[in-house]
Amino acid sequence: MNALKKINWSGWLFFGLLLLAWELGARGAPKLQLYFPPLSRVLVALVASVQTGALVSQFMITVGRFLEGYFLSAAIGVALGIILGYFRSVHQLFETFIEFLRPMPSVAIIPVAILMLGISDSMIVAVTVYATVWPILINTIDGVRHIEQVLIQTGRTFGLSRRRILWQVILPAASPYIVTGLRIGLSIALILVTTAEMVAGGKGLGFFILDEERSMNSGNMYAGIIVVAALGYALNRLFLALEAKALKWRHGMMARQAA
Amino acid sequence: MRWSNLRGVLFLIALIAIWEIASRSDLLNPLIMPAPARILGVFSDLISSGQIPWQILVSMKRAAAGYLLAAAVFIPLGIVMGLSRRIYCLFEVTVEMLRPVPPPVVIPVAILFFGLEDKMKIFVIFFSCAWPILLNTLDGVRSVDWVLLNTARTFGLSRAKTILQVVLPAASPQIMTGLRVSLPITLILVVISEMVGSTDGIGYFILDSQRRFRVAQMYAGMLSLAILGYTLNQVFNLLHRVLMSWHWGMMKRME
Repeated sequence: MNALKKINWSGWLFFGLLLLAWELGARGAPKLQLYFPPLSRVLVALVASVQTGALVSQFMITVGRFLEGYFLSAAIGVALGIILGYFRSVHQLFETFIEFLRPMPSVAIIPVAILMLGISDSMIVAVTVYATVWPILINTIDGVRHIEQVLIQTGRTFGLSRRRILWQVILPAASPYIVTGLRIGLSIALILVTTAEMVAGGKGLGFFILDEERSMNSGNMYAGIIVVAALGYALNRLFLALEAKALKWRHGMMARQAA
Repeated sequence: MRWSNLRGVLFLIALIAIWEIASRSDLLNPLIMPAPARILGVFSDLISSGQIPWQILVSMKRAAAGYLLAAAVFIPLGIVMGLSRRIYCLFEVTVEMLRPVPPPVVIPVAILFFGLEDKMKIFVIFFSCAWPILLNTLDGVRSVDWVLLNTARTFGLSRAKTILQVVLPAASPQIMTGLRVSLPITLILVVISEMVGSTDGIGYFILDSQRRFRVAQMYAGMLSLAILGYTLNQVFNLLHRVLMSWHWGMMKRME
């Protein structure tokens, strides 16, 4: 059906024209080239810094921090979210606390993290976890609360243990909400890793990009940005593919209900 | 915040009390986590000396400029892209290419072009609010009932009138969603851009306090940011209720 979707010719043409305008505009204004090198030079810089391994090692560092932070956030956010969503009294206890912390922009935690953990990997991961837990937590709470009580009661009637109710009733029923939280968390985690690397990092793509700007190597700076954008794009694509696979049963069920 | 949730409020107060005691008795390192009473003292000093209000004012000017600029550019663009399939196709690839760029990495580019001035932060905020505003507007316009558009055409409304009196109101709930999602993004990006390249603003103030080891002052700055975030959200909700009251009224009547 959708496999034969036509290529968007006009869109690619427009994008190509923009790139061409960049190349020609930069070539035509040599004075600007310090800020605005031609695209071809950016691509050369990209290939060169990949070949020397400079960009690759920064990339691996950023990806490592991202994965660590993201999976920790997912584990914490989903576990806490299920507890807070299931036990109303626990939720009441923590509600004001959560409402108090949530409006603060998450990046404001960076100075505190530097103070407590110094300039280190664990600082960057901690900051990432703090920011990424929020959307996952809030969505999981919502998801658990929206489960029809009939489902849980049916499970109980059939004598399912608490553990089985959790794994076979609550988790699947709340999964669409959880997945939404995980998707929002994906881009937030990438934003926080790169930000923390900019503000206080000696390594990683965020640091690389800012450092190349400060040393006026704008070619390398743009190359770094292209790599970060590609990383963000790939992560999002990967997530969507996994989501389609993981939630396949649900789409099947929905289709059956509609039919 | 729901103050009616007594248990929640008491729990929060208990946590702060434990912090206070732990910090005073050196269980928590008071150099890193000073007692809340001290933070509040510093906070009120900084408020009355005008320092925090001044830094927040500086940040808010930048935030407002970037946010409003993004709204002024991307709501119209979203409407045009939503109405015309051809224009949508034209921009689609470019949008899809730019969207995965995490907004903070745009900061170095903005520094190159604009230096450390206000323009730099405004551009960064503009860029980061672009996608939620554009994509929500686009969705909103696309889901406008075709009957509405056809009716407008039948009555011979001009294009401009159709857009202003039919499309814009019908798409406004989703446009508001885009604007609401952009609000915390704006606040985050103004703080980040002030941390990375600035000599004033609340983001700079917090990071600078940490670097000078004025820890209580740092926490006071964070507290002011939390209050600011909360206030902005409340103001938006209020505006939303006033602006969209016709919409809720209509929905009720339809039921």
